[in-house]
Amino acid sequence: MQTISQRNPIEIKISTVVAIAVILHDANLSVLAAALKKLTANSSDYYSEECAVIDVANIDCTALDWPALIGLFKSSGFHPVAIRHAPEACEVQIAQLGLSIDLGSKVAQSAEKIVAQVVAEPVTELVAATSSLPPMVIDTPVRGGQRIYARGRDLIITAVVNSGAEVIADGNIHIYAPLRGRALAGASGNTAARIFTMGLEAELVSIAGIYRTFEHGYPSLAPQMPVQIKLDGDKIDVVSIQSSN
Amino acid sequence: MAKIIVITSGKGGVGKTTSSASFATGLAMRGHKTVVIDFDVGLRNLDLIMGCERRVVYDLINVVSGEATLRQALIKDKHCENLFILPASQTRDKDALVEEGVERVLNELIKMDFEYIICDSPAGIEHGAIMALTFADEAIIVTNPEVSSVRDSDRILGIIQAKSRRALNGGEPVKEHLLITRYSPKRVDAGEMLSHQDVQEILRIPLVGIIPESEAVLHASNQGSPAIHIKGSQVSLAYEDVVGRFLGEELPFRFMDYEKPSLIKRFFGAR
Repeated sequence: MQTISQRNPIEIKISTVVAIAVILHDANLSVLAAALKKLTANSSDYYSEECAVIDVANIDCTALDWPALIGLFKSSGFHPVAIRHAPEACEVQIAQLGLSIDLGSKVAQSAEKIVAQVVAEPVTELVAATSSLPPMVIDTPVRGGQRIYARGRDLIITAVVNSGAEVIADGNIHIYAPLRGRALAGASGNTAARIFTMGLEAELVSIAGIYRTFEHGYPSLAPQMPVQIKLDGDKIDVVSIQSSN
Repeated sequence: MAKIIVITSGKGGVGKTTSSASFATGLAMRGHKTVVIDFDVGLRNLDLIMGCERRVVYDLINVVSGEATLRQALIKDKHCENLFILPASQTRDKDALVEEGVERVLNELIKMDFEYIICDSPAGIEHGAIMALTFADEAIIVTNPEVSSVRDSDRILGIIQAKSRRALNGGEPVKEHLLITRYSPKRVDAGEMLSHQDVQEILRIPLVGIIPESEAVLHASNQGSPAIHIKGSQVSLAYEDVVGRFLGEELPFRFMDYEKPSLIKRFFGAR
């Protein structure tokens, strides 16, 4: 009983929130609306309320209609939480909309430097810890319009990935069925990540941001043959898994 | 315990309403108290296919918004004792289909001892389609054997997995059934149409039936009578099989292989 009464009703810890960065290159709202429509294939749940940080470094914000801009992203399924690189003149207006001001990489970079100088060794430990996360396992078909992201880990799928679906992992992707949609391995830059599938019928494959589509057919391997997809320099290589020995 | 079944497809014109009408009729003919609800607000069609369009006074939206009671809106089928139709509104906006209202209507139907509640979904993945599938226990995915229909079915299966109450509550998932309609064994044989194996290979859910392409369906629709009533026709037998399989019977699939017309038949021009 005592322990309960002693517990603080509010506990404060440092925590990292996962958000996507939306970098704008045009200040015209109708241009942005059209681009969003294209991006989300007209389905407002495409981004399923993902937290978004909107980066306005590349556009002129002086005449920007902030409420309309935020409304535009909200209606497309984003959940804007902060504006990055906002000019000081706009900060009050942004705060009134309930969004935070993100100072972006300026602060982060200097902070990183300090961290790197002070604790150089523990960083490697941290990397080892994240890469040993257990893989995410999916046992049901991944259908068109669905998106799965295995953050900081491998992704194992025991069912089909259909066209229009997108599976993403920071590590490797294993699919024990045909891959007909998109698969993006090493999404945070791991060039050693690979994709394995029992049958390559993919729309697109990507490793560490380097992608390949198959508009002119698949590499001449036997159909329905298990393949692995890996990065060879800056080129995506598709090879059979069937070992020759 | 009442079962809520959504009949959906993503794509339009594949035979959702035809299948809803025949499936509901088939259940009712076997003695189950059944209601079929048209969720296609603004483009109602089920009442035409069921032949009750002249008896529509109140509709689903009237009940959802509390302007009429459920008993006032339910229309008794002219053929089957156990079958009722809840028509869609032709004039109202689909946004009037609010989730709480739909849930209330479904709960009331369960209280009225309906065994099967069939929700005829509109095409697309908009609000009406979502409302039709939200409360489903089971789903019948109507697919034509062609790529765009199969892809849309795949998309709607994903939406059922993501947006149905069962999915959101983390319970047992919605049970999925594949119904292939407008199947033409001859065109499959000629390589003009996907085979049922091709469709299943992509969607990977259990097959509940194959309905052959037939002009009789169009004729039945124009007559305002569900296709299952065309006695002795392949379509009617195929829908009866669907109902049987849905209720757990093991039935062989028929009308899925192409038999080349024999020489004699060709000679005498018999069809």
